[in-house]
Amino acid sequence: MFNGFNHSVMGASHEKTNLVCQDSSAFKVGDHYAIAVVADGHGSKKHFRSHLGSKFAVEATIEAIDRFYEDREALEANLPTNHKFIIKNIEKQIISNWNMKVEKHLAENPVTDDEKSNFTPEEFEAILPESYYGSTLVAGISGDNYTFGVQIGDGSLVAIFEDGRAVMPMEYNESAPANVTASVCNSNAASLFSSFYAPNKKLIALYGSTDGLYTSFGSEYDFLDYHSIITSQLVNLETFKNIIVNNLSKRSHFGTEDDISLSCIYNEDLLKDRIDLINKRVEENKKAAAQRKAAMLEKKV
Amino acid sequence: MSNEHITEPEVNKNVSPLDDFDNAETVSSAASSAPVSDDSILDFDDDPLSATSVSKKSLVIFFLIDTSGSMKGKKMGELNTVMEELIPEIRRVGEADTDVKIAVLTFSTEVRWMYSNPIPIEDFEWARLRASGVTSMGAAFKELNHRMSRNSFLNSPSLSFAPVIFLMTDGYPSDDYKEGLRELQTNSWYKFGLKAALGIGQEANDNILAEFTGSKDTVVHAYSGGQLAQMIKIIAVTSSQIGSKSMTLSDDTSHELGEEDVFAAKQKLLGQQIQELVSTQTDGDDVPFDTGW
Repeated sequence: MFNGFNHSVMGASHEKTNLVCQDSSAFKVGDHYAIAVVADGHGSKKHFRSHLGSKFAVEATIEAIDRFYEDREALEANLPTNHKFIIKNIEKQIISNWNMKVEKHLAENPVTDDEKSNFTPEEFEAILPESYYGSTLVAGISGDNYTFGVQIGDGSLVAIFEDGRAVMPMEYNESAPANVTASVCNSNAASLFSSFYAPNKKLIALYGSTDGLYTSFGSEYDFLDYHSIITSQLVNLETFKNIIVNNLSKRSHFGTEDDISLSCIYNEDLLKDRIDLINKRVEENKKAAAQRKAAMLEKKV
Repeated sequence: MSNEHITEPEVNKNVSPLDDFDNAETVSSAASSAPVSDDSILDFDDDPLSATSVSKKSLVIFFLIDTSGSMKGKKMGELNTVMEELIPEIRRVGEADTDVKIAVLTFSTEVRWMYSNPIPIEDFEWARLRASGVTSMGAAFKELNHRMSRNSFLNSPSLSFAPVIFLMTDGYPSDDYKEGLRELQTNSWYKFGLKAALGIGQEANDNILAEFTGSKDTVVHAYSGGQLAQMIKIIAVTSSQIGSKSMTLSDDTSHELGEEDVFAAKQKLLGQQIQELVSTQTDGDDVPFDTGW
């Protein structure tokens, strides 16, 4: 049985500039599957509706994945052999859904004079309408014994499988150029996704986060350890959730002042069964962190 | 069963420990709730997540220090003393909203890092250096190019200011420094980094140092122990202050400025401030390095 949580906090830098929070997040627990999704609107001048774009990206993702799970048995029968093809189709469906939402919103809410006032007529003409809504997207999906994920643009997925170790499962996408920020608003967006598929593994917990969380850490080790600690507390989610909310706020406030979103899905039964293992990993991580620091402070001259 | 949760974001300053997580979507206007003080957000003795600290935007200051034989004696002794005194001053620069880290690369016959990684300023301890051997400046440039990378010294997830790179030398390179500099000049961190150089004594070649920094304004000279202390402090403190300054990414006409514009503005400011501060320094009764030290 899956459960989950999600939360988005607004960054201090956006407060200072009177910008609304550009992030959106959600989780969904379905019948034998669950989805965690986050999106980060670009927030710069030409993406002046990106807070809506991130909301549409989250909605578009859940709708697209739900559609594929309408016939769950057929989907799961085909995933082991055709996962690349299926995931590619999910990505295309997400982009198609997002574009439809953007077109509908724009038709119902034409660009106002106030929105245009930041541009010269020539500058405004040069911006593609989809760009007004530009956003990243990170989504993780898990079934009973498999997990997969899709991502376009910045953000992170962290998975904790049966062995209790926190890993970043996303594979590098060779087709996404390193110096280009991929976005759902790109004309070739469907080809810019990264994805992963992890078959024959039971998932304990899966987390999607926008880049404001990752950039609030000094090392990737700390980032992964953070997810292990959260997982160790999920058995008491009701009492722990306020601590997570406040910690995300603290990270945004004292880190890079960016919006932060975190969405999580987890397998309640497996977590209860493996909680001793998770707690052991948390202790191991603490010792490893102390060893890394001692090694770092060793003088070489 | 189906259970979908899409929540509206909250303004972080207004988060109260009593906020209901799952019902966050009912908090339609976070601004309507009473703001709480920073302290109430931050202090959780019972927060297991505090085991992983929060990183601010980071600034790495690279010191490239000539430890060849000609630095032996007063020059190296003075440099060691100044650097020990300097660390607390730099620590104060980063206190507010920047994580400052220090990386020291020494070059003589060999090139060697003082630590295997950049060290947070609060943990940094100066290791007293000794001088011997020749001046492998080109090898130092190559080593810096190799380490100044997201795959090496600059691999922290947290956002980084462009680094500060501070070169100190008292003589002419004994290897092909031009080849090393050509490699370094391809490095984006070098291109956008704040660069300054200090020539120590009569033998240091200002033209070579200006090749490294890209401008004569960011090259200064010290001819005595007193000047060496003054110049190191001026350059290190000024460059770390400017390096850790967030410059606006849009100008008065609301045009968005690129990274190159921000870099150019910072490097120009560094040159101006260094020259202004240097011009106010007095020689005093210092004995020059090259006459009697």
